[in-house]
Amino acid sequence: MGLERVKTMNRKNIISYIFLILITVIVFIPIFITLFASFKTALQLGEEFPLKPPTAFYLKNFKLVMENGKLLLGFRNSIILVILSISINALLGSMTAYCLSRFNFRFKKIIFVLFMLGMILPTYVTEIARFGVIKNLGLYNTIGAPIVIYAAADLMQIFIYTQFVEKIPGTLDESAMIDGCTYFGIFWKIVFPLLLPATATLAIIKAVEVINDMYIPFLYMPSAKLRTLTTTLMDFSSSRFGTWENLSAAIILVMLPTIILYLIFQKFIFAGIIAGAVKE
Amino acid sequence: MNTLKLQRKIFLICFLFIPVLLLLTFVVYPAIELFHISFTDWNGMSSARSYIGFDNYMRMFFNSSDVWSVLKNNWIYFYVHALFIPLELMVAIMLHNKMKGSKFFKTVIFMPYIMNGVAVSYAFAFFYSPINGGLNGILNALGLDWIIQNWLSNKNIVNYSLTAISLWRFCGLHIVLFLAGLQSIPKELIEASVVDGANALQRYLKIIIPSITRVVQIILFLNVRGALQVFDIPFVVTRGGPMNASSTFTLLTMETAFQYNDFGMASTMAITLLFIIILMSWIQDKLFKWGWKG
Repeated sequence: MGLERVKTMNRKNIISYIFLILITVIVFIPIFITLFASFKTALQLGEEFPLKPPTAFYLKNFKLVMENGKLLLGFRNSIILVILSISINALLGSMTAYCLSRFNFRFKKIIFVLFMLGMILPTYVTEIARFGVIKNLGLYNTIGAPIVIYAAADLMQIFIYTQFVEKIPGTLDESAMIDGCTYFGIFWKIVFPLLLPATATLAIIKAVEVINDMYIPFLYMPSAKLRTLTTTLMDFSSSRFGTWENLSAAIILVMLPTIILYLIFQKFIFAGIIAGAVKE
Repeated sequence: MNTLKLQRKIFLICFLFIPVLLLLTFVVYPAIELFHISFTDWNGMSSARSYIGFDNYMRMFFNSSDVWSVLKNNWIYFYVHALFIPLELMVAIMLHNKMKGSKFFKTVIFMPYIMNGVAVSYAFAFFYSPINGGLNGILNALGLDWIIQNWLSNKNIVNYSLTAISLWRFCGLHIVLFLAGLQSIPKELIEASVVDGANALQRYLKIIIPSITRVVQIILFLNVRGALQVFDIPFVVTRGGPMNASSTFTLLTMETAFQYNDFGMASTMAITLLFIIILMSWIQDKLFKWGWKG
């Protein structure tokens, strides 16, 4: 019986391994083909098997991308957007969540309903009506456009912050109150620091989202000076340098920042994605 | 006591003013505007717009074959992804069994979701390319030349090629969500069923799925929403081409607005999309609950 059990367990494990390895191969094939192509010459690309690793450390494609692709400008703009968005969202998100979960007041229900409305609105098509608002407020073709949209339309952060605020005992607020602390003081000195784990999770997820976002920068920041990492790649692909070996190098460079963030901060990303989705 | 109440009021106003103002300006007002514009012939620029009642809606329902033909493409994303859901659950169960290396596999499987969608789309455009493309290269090396296709310019295949990119990107998200659901099932429950002699399929149907109905519902909802809103993959890879063969409802809507300047019609389509999503989610939810009890 015992041996039988071990045998079936092993067989099950082997099937699992075969399956998981197959998935791993499927995930890596397009990435490796692109990675290998980025180190090949146009001639090699035409002749060699796509999964054959490059034989020499050929860097000309990357050099060309760096010189003509304006990738550094895109990277700089993306970083600025990330830093501004993370700070503004952490501040506004935690403030909103604290007010909505700790206090009872007249318009609370309405505010909740409005936030829910934002959640059922389809993405992308909402921009048809938002476009006019952005233009009328003079935010079109400025970095302000994505900033206000990312700040206004992020409901996941409020849900995640709310989950964390609810874990902080209310007695903590009360005792601080007795000690003469104001509401502002309680938030800044006690609540906000305690929300740090949520802030970290949200900051990393937001960073990934902002770097990867395509349509909002594409639509609202057409100026060449305001290209982000993602929209830079789109420009490069349609430029005269956009041959496969060059484009492959650009693709790899644009993929790197979020992959690195993911490999370092995996735990936060999993936690945030799950908490955000399960609340929906 | 009164000063405390006043302080509370000031505090709430200070803290909620900006977030609510942003919400009203950039979410609520545009949502109302979307309804509003859908009853006009606005071109997106001029200050003049006249009300034309339900004309846009009539035109979309009865006089626009494009709208219905692109919805068929959304349908392809929907059903192919739906067919993969049982498989995703199976993979999640495999990862849940804590074998050697399951952490590594989890990392790999989720990675596509976190990667830059535009970069991934271009990588796949290269993969499918008829010139030096990876897929045809591999098929060639395997002696499967007869399968070689114009993956992106054959209008009968292009949507499946694009759906494959979507699967590559989003299956990992579903698997990780399933995994989170599985981790919340008490271990004793599964062990008890093994002792009772339940086989794998019985365990799958009688214990695992009922314990993770919440996650299943979320994934079904994400699938409806995702399939109806497919945009960036066809937008980057094919621009909806050849002709309109790989366009989607959202892609067509955005083109209607920003290329043909028919904001009235585009808003009508956006509102329709909103209702289709709500309707489909509702039907799916009812079917799921009914199928489970019945």
